[in-house]
Amino acid sequence: MTLTRTSHSQVDLFSDEVLVDPYPVYRDLRDRGGAVHLSALDVWAIPRYADVRRALADWAGFSSRGIALNEPVNRMLVGSVLASDPPFHDTLRAVLSARLGPRAVRPLQAEIAGRAERLVDELVEQGSFDAVTDLAVAFPFSVVFDLIGIPDEARPKMLGWADATFTVFGPLNERTLGGLDAIGEMFGWLGTVQATDLKEGSMGRDIFRAADEGRIGRESCIPLLAAYTSAGLDTTINAIANAVHLLGTHPDQWDLVTANPGLVPSALNEVLRYDAPVQGFGRTVTEDVEIDGVPVRSGAQVLLLYGSGNRDERRYPEPDRFDVTRNPVDHLAFGYGTHACAGQALARLEAHAVLTALATRVRRFRVGEPVRHLNNIVRGLERLPVDGLVLR
Amino acid sequence: MKLSVDRDRCEGYGLCVDEASSLLHLDDDGELVLDAEEVEPELSGVAEAAVRVCPVAALTMD
Repeated sequence: MTLTRTSHSQVDLFSDEVLVDPYPVYRDLRDRGGAVHLSALDVWAIPRYADVRRALADWAGFSSRGIALNEPVNRMLVGSVLASDPPFHDTLRAVLSARLGPRAVRPLQAEIAGRAERLVDELVEQGSFDAVTDLAVAFPFSVVFDLIGIPDEARPKMLGWADATFTVFGPLNERTLGGLDAIGEMFGWLGTVQATDLKEGSMGRDIFRAADEGRIGRESCIPLLAAYTSAGLDTTINAIANAVHLLGTHPDQWDLVTANPGLVPSALNEVLRYDAPVQGFGRTVTEDVEIDGVPVRSGAQVLLLYGSGNRDERRYPEPDRFDVTRNPVDHLAFGYGTHACAGQALARLEAHAVLTALATRVRRFRVGEPVRHLNNIVRGLERLPVDGLVLR
Repeated sequence: MKLSVDRDRCEGYGLCVDEASSLLHLDDDGELVLDAEEVEPELSGVAEAAVRVCPVAALTMD
């Protein structure tokens, strides 16, 4: 007879209380084991770094057809880049990475840095600002919309739509149900978009060209356009907001960055480790597997907790200490492997530009009480007042 | 030990180059070039670090 140990938890990972500060709950899950059954959802939480990474590397054993924790959304996502497995996934991703990969975005660096400097100059002049609305939202909006070539009419709606696109990956709770309404509205609008509505030469227009050339099916155009707009906004926005928040609340760490702006890439990796904008994604297990000695059956739904893996004491010493010199390049915030964030080169470029512009101008700043934005999947802020600027 | 790169997966992030500049580099077009496929034992740690940071799991060692 084989003895198997199974860990359970009754916690609701998606309650307001946990979303405000999930880290003590994550620690409890990590202490319980490498796979912990969340009884209320019938989902296995995978909270430790090594197990999350192993699952992400194994796209066949952990299929993305279960990327969401609810069936209606998984059905809706059939055929999208996020929810597909190779080889079909790779033809869709190739369209994105041709424009978003490092080779493609490197030439944009000077332009993006210039935009960041102008925006930060304006905010510094104002003396006080909201780091979410005026900086973290305003900047990716100005960069991403022009690159995708989206018509102006959609811009005011897009932030809410992008936010909804992530929240619906959670279980069917109130947040998901509200998000589904917003997504219906988004696809209603996207359904009216013609190739000629998108700027010539833009990333969006390229999607339609790929279909014209037979590289992808016509039916993949709108989902790919949706992937660009939503994935390009909520993630980068919250990465920048979280960065300003963490650097503002750790002035000793900000001192290190201003003294040596070469630390910006390391500081960004630490921000992404400490507060991953995407806290986790689901997968469906395709064959019986053991995770940390716990048997998980084929067909089971798992939740890969990037936000917890990034705080795993088995991987990062003193994981709750925010340290801009740590440079945790292998953090899980962009995922890993086949489905690793296709926009990570652009996201890094944008965040590096903003942080470098701040670090070369502002020696000291004060952050007020942040207002958390609650989303089933994305960790970020709604508002973050900044004042008390001391310039260099 | 031998380093190898899956060309279909590599997108040219270059994080591996930061870890192991003595073993690989990006050429002028941003394509990854392995300067030494055979890894000397004293560089195996460096090579492992390069494999570890590849975001898309394109770099492997065996």
